[in-house]
This record gives sequence, C-alpha cells and structure tokens, in this order.
Amino acid sequence: MTLKSVFARFGLLVIIVMFFAFFSFSSNVFLTFDNQLNIVEASAIVLILALGMTLVVAMGGIDLSIGIAFDFGAAFAVVALKDFGIAWYLACLIGIMGGALIGLLNAFLIVKLKISPFMATLGTFFVGSSVERVFTNGGGPISFRRMPQEYRDLAVGDVFGIPTEVVIAAVVLIVYFVLLERSIFGKRIHAIGLQTDAANVADIPVRRYMFIAFILASATCAIGGLIGSANIRMFTPLAGFSYLLDAIAAVFIGAAIHPKGRPNVLGTLVGVLFLGMIGNGLNLMGLDFNLKAALSGLILVGTLTLAVAQQRFR
Amino acid sequence: MNQSISTRLITIFPIVVFACLFAYLGLSSSNFLSLGTFELILKQAVPTVIVSLGLATVVIAGGDDVVAGGIDLSIPATAIICAAIVADQMTNGGHSLIYAMTLAFGAAAIIGAVNAFLVVGIRMTPLLATLSMSVAIVGVTKVITSSRRIGVTDESILFIRDGKLFGIAASVVLTAVLVVIFYHALHRTRWGMNMQATGGSRDAAEISGILTRRFVFQSFLIAAFAGWIASVFVLARGSGSSPGTEESLLLEMVLATFLGAAFSPRRVVTLWGAVLGAIVVSALSVGFISIGVNVFWTGCIKGALILLVVASAAVTTKGRS
Repeated sequence: MTLKSVFARFGLLVIIVMFFAFFSFSSNVFLTFDNQLNIVEASAIVLILALGMTLVVAMGGIDLSIGIAFDFGAAFAVVALKDFGIAWYLACLIGIMGGALIGLLNAFLIVKLKISPFMATLGTFFVGSSVERVFTNGGGPISFRRMPQEYRDLAVGDVFGIPTEVVIAAVVLIVYFVLLERSIFGKRIHAIGLQTDAANVADIPVRRYMFIAFILASATCAIGGLIGSANIRMFTPLAGFSYLLDAIAAVFIGAAIHPKGRPNVLGTLVGVLFLGMIGNGLNLMGLDFNLKAALSGLILVGTLTLAVAQQRFR
Repeated sequence: MNQSISTRLITIFPIVVFACLFAYLGLSSSNFLSLGTFELILKQAVPTVIVSLGLATVVIAGGDDVVAGGIDLSIPATAIICAAIVADQMTNGGHSLIYAMTLAFGAAAIIGAVNAFLVVGIRMTPLLATLSMSVAIVGVTKVITSSRRIGVTDESILFIRDGKLFGIAASVVLTAVLVVIFYHALHRTRWGMNMQATGGSRDAAEISGILTRRFVFQSFLIAAFAGWIASVFVLARGSGSSPGTEESLLLEMVLATFLGAAFSPRRVVTLWGAVLGAIVVSALSVGFISIGVNVFWTGCIKGALILLVVASAAVTTKGRS
C-alpha cells in the first residue's frame, strides 16, 4: 500500500480520529460517558433527517424541502393533540402523514411533471414555508404545554435507560440499513442513482421507485419533527431549515468514506456523529458564539474538501 | 417544425401568466402603473440583479444542470461579508472607502478562488462546494460584525442610496451600466463566446480546443466579483451592514435567475433573463403589497410561479424530443 492509497481509503477517518483526540485533550469533560451520550442524543434528529436525505441522494436526487417535512410533521401532530385532543400515537401517525404530503408534492413534481429534484424541492420549500407563515400568522410558534406525557416522552423519556430519541433514531437507522443496503429495493434505488437509463432498460419501475422514495424520505423527516416538537412542547415554524445543510454534509461525508464513494447508511451515521462531535467539542472549548459559527463552517468546508479529494485519488 | 398548438401555448404560457398578473395588479391598484412605482421596483431589484448576473455567468459557463452543472450559492454570502468588511473598516476602523473596498475585494477574490479550486481542482459538486462555503462565509461574517448592525454614513454610499444620475436613481443607472458590461463581455467577445460554448456542451467545447476548466474557473471568480460589487448596493440599501440579510438575497437570486429562463426561447439561463427575472420578482413583491395581499403569501406565490415555469420548460423539452 502506498501512502496515496492509504490516504484515498482512510484520509477522512484519520481526520475524524484526530479531531476526537484533540477535543479529548482540550477538555477533560469531552471523553466522559455523559458527554458522549450528549453527542449521540443531540445527533438523533439530524440522523433521522440525514437518512431521508441518504435515500434521495442514493437515487441521484436531492431534497431541499426536508426541513418543511420536519415542520409539517411537528405541526400536524401538535395541532392534532391540541385542537382535537386525540391519542398521542394517532397524533404521531398524523404527523408522519403530514410530512408524507410534502413528499407526495415532491414526487408529483419530479416524477409526473419531470422537474429536476433541485428546482422541484426548492419550489416546495418556498410554498411550504409560506404556508407555514400563513398558518401561524407570520411565524409565531404553536405551543402546547400540557401535551400528553407519552408524546413528550418521545424526546425526554427513556427506554431501559437509553433516551427515547436515540432509540427511535436507532430503529430508523436499522430500518434504513436493511432497506437501502440489504434489500432488493435498496439495490434498485442505488441502480437508479448510478445509471437511470440502465435501470430503465433493466425493467426497474424507475418512476414508481422515485415516487416511493421521495414520500418515504419526507415521512422519515416528519419523525424528526415529532421529536423536535415533543422536546420543546411546541411547533416552531421554519425550525427544520437549520437541519438541511448538516443533513446534506453528513450524506456526502458518508459517501466519501464508502469504498466506492456511494451515499450509504453507515457512512451517513459517521457523518452525523462527526458533525455532532465538532459542535459539542467547540462548545466545550468555551468559544465565543460567533467564533464557533465561523470555525464550524470552516471545518465543514475543510472536511468536505478532503472527503471529495479522497475520492479523486481512487 | 411540426409544433402543435398546445405545445406553442405551453411555450408562451409563463409569459402569458406574468402578463395577466401584471394587468391584474395594474387594474386593482391605481398606483401600480406609475413611474414612481416603476423606479421603486427597479431600486428594490438592484442587489438581486447584480448577484443574479454572477449566478447567470456561472450557470452559462457550467451548464444548467443544477446539481452537476454550474451553480454558485455563495454569492449572496460574499456580498454580505464584503459589506461587513467595508462597514467595519470605515465605521469602526476609521479607514477610507477605497481602503475598505480594497480589503473587501481581497476577501471576494479569495472566496472566488476557493470556490473555483473546489469545483475545478478537486471536482466537488458546485452545489455542495458553494453551499458549504456560504455557511463558512456567514460564520466568518459573524466574527467580523459580532452579529451586530454596523451603520455607514459615507457620502458615496449615501449617494448610491439617494442620489440621482440623469434624473434616475443612481443605483439603477450604475446597475444598468454593469448589466451592459456583462452583456458585452459574454455576448460580444471571443472570450464570452468560448465561455458560452463551455456551458453549452463541455465535450464539444473541449474537442474544439477550448480550455473549458479555465472558463469554469473564471466564472466563479466573476461570481465573487459580482458579490463584491453587490456589497456596495447592499450597504446603500441598508445604510450599513446588517446580519442575516444573505438568506433572503439567496432565495431571490436563485428565483430570479431560474425564473429568467422562462423568458428565453430555449428555456436556458441567460443574462437578460436573470435581470428580467429579478425585476419581475421585485415587481411582484411591490405589486402584492400595493393591493394588500398578505405578505406571508408572497413566498407561496413565488414558489408556485417558479414551479410553473420549470414545469412548462420540462413539458416543452419533452414535446420537442
């Protein structure tokens, strides 16, 4: 193995380990179990959204409206709980269906009207955020302090000592892993992403798969919205937007550590945890808020540069 | 040429929709069709027009596939960081406008070069490269301004805000000059033709001996340059640098540039299209306010319009093939 081939395979992983070591030295709290759990817990929602994004990117698309699906999930569930007083599990279901509506719109625009995924989901983003503003009369949150404890537990409860949101994220992770990496469905999604024409020739029902994938991705993001709204006991309009770049970045970092440079579920997990670690580590260093924003942005560019450069060396 | 009537209708559909919209706005608000409103619309559109010129250049050189082709989402962030540097140097540092603008130019040049390196050098997807650059730039801007507003009271900046040239708002005249310069460079020079060829078909351009990588590289430098120029007008419009302005500028820029494709016969991004798109977006905003439409709906209408345009573009290409 030459130095070049080692870099091509493990360059990014080395950088991740170096950051881990650096934060461990710079703060004596970083390595504690509680703090590591903090990182995992803080990454749960991002992971759920990033998995939805992984599915879409693996299929050769992109979804800029995952934040809207997140918001719709939260809004539908909170309104169902507050104004209709229905059971918490039905509210969850309604929330997920609310998110799926966004996916349905995307799928219609992309599959039926043949708009490129970027423009279609950007349009959905515009329309969706406007609908949220109108619905909340300009963007005020819909708060529901006395929500059922079961719903609230989605974010603050625990299952055998493990925080519920981590458990939910883990379940979504496993489902996505099986779906995307271990099933015929996943093989076909990857095939569509690699060579749409070849997939068509091979008689894969490309349009149906795309339809399903966009709806599935949005419904997944809505699960993130449920947890988010349970955590702060309210629906905050346009809150989902802040997850967009982290989700995209995690998917591409994950693709970079894959042997063939493909978006994949485990890579996305590494990407999400890496971003979570950077955020946590910078916080522990006690940096100024503004400086932290600049540093995490620069680290993001640096990491992505390395990630892509690494692929080119292969 | 065996175009059916329905295909033709779809081809002019976006233009018909806009015409109807403006007719409606003109009829429902007595002030909408006045010269004063028109000037206001143009003045409002200025920063968007300039950053859209930059984006249009990148798309022209890189091809109009939004993911694999050329796109630069960091232009608004570039404009905002340049505005922050200028405001900080002048108000907090007490330096002259020339000095501050030179520093800002340096920053813009670095950003353009990094973008170009990421896209051409290591072949990162332009969307990913410029989006993450945008985040980094916004972060650095926060360090410069400490997330605070910095006012600017320089005479030249105030002149751009309030002054008149030949009886027309100075910002509009200066922007018009810039548009003409961009148009001349891209449409009337050998260099511009090569750049258009690069975006039209990378392979064909390469076979004809055009150094396509160089042109893509330059397009990102030009985009950063457009961001630098736009910073002056951003400063003038806000009488200083304010945090958080890049997001709305980003949305308007993407909207204007790709909406502009509707006005081109081949449905591709063009300079004129981008300029017209920016003016249309601004006119819609002003128009909806003047007839008292809830401001929160404007995003929805803009989103629906862009979907309408790209959908009709998609249908047109389908009809042709």
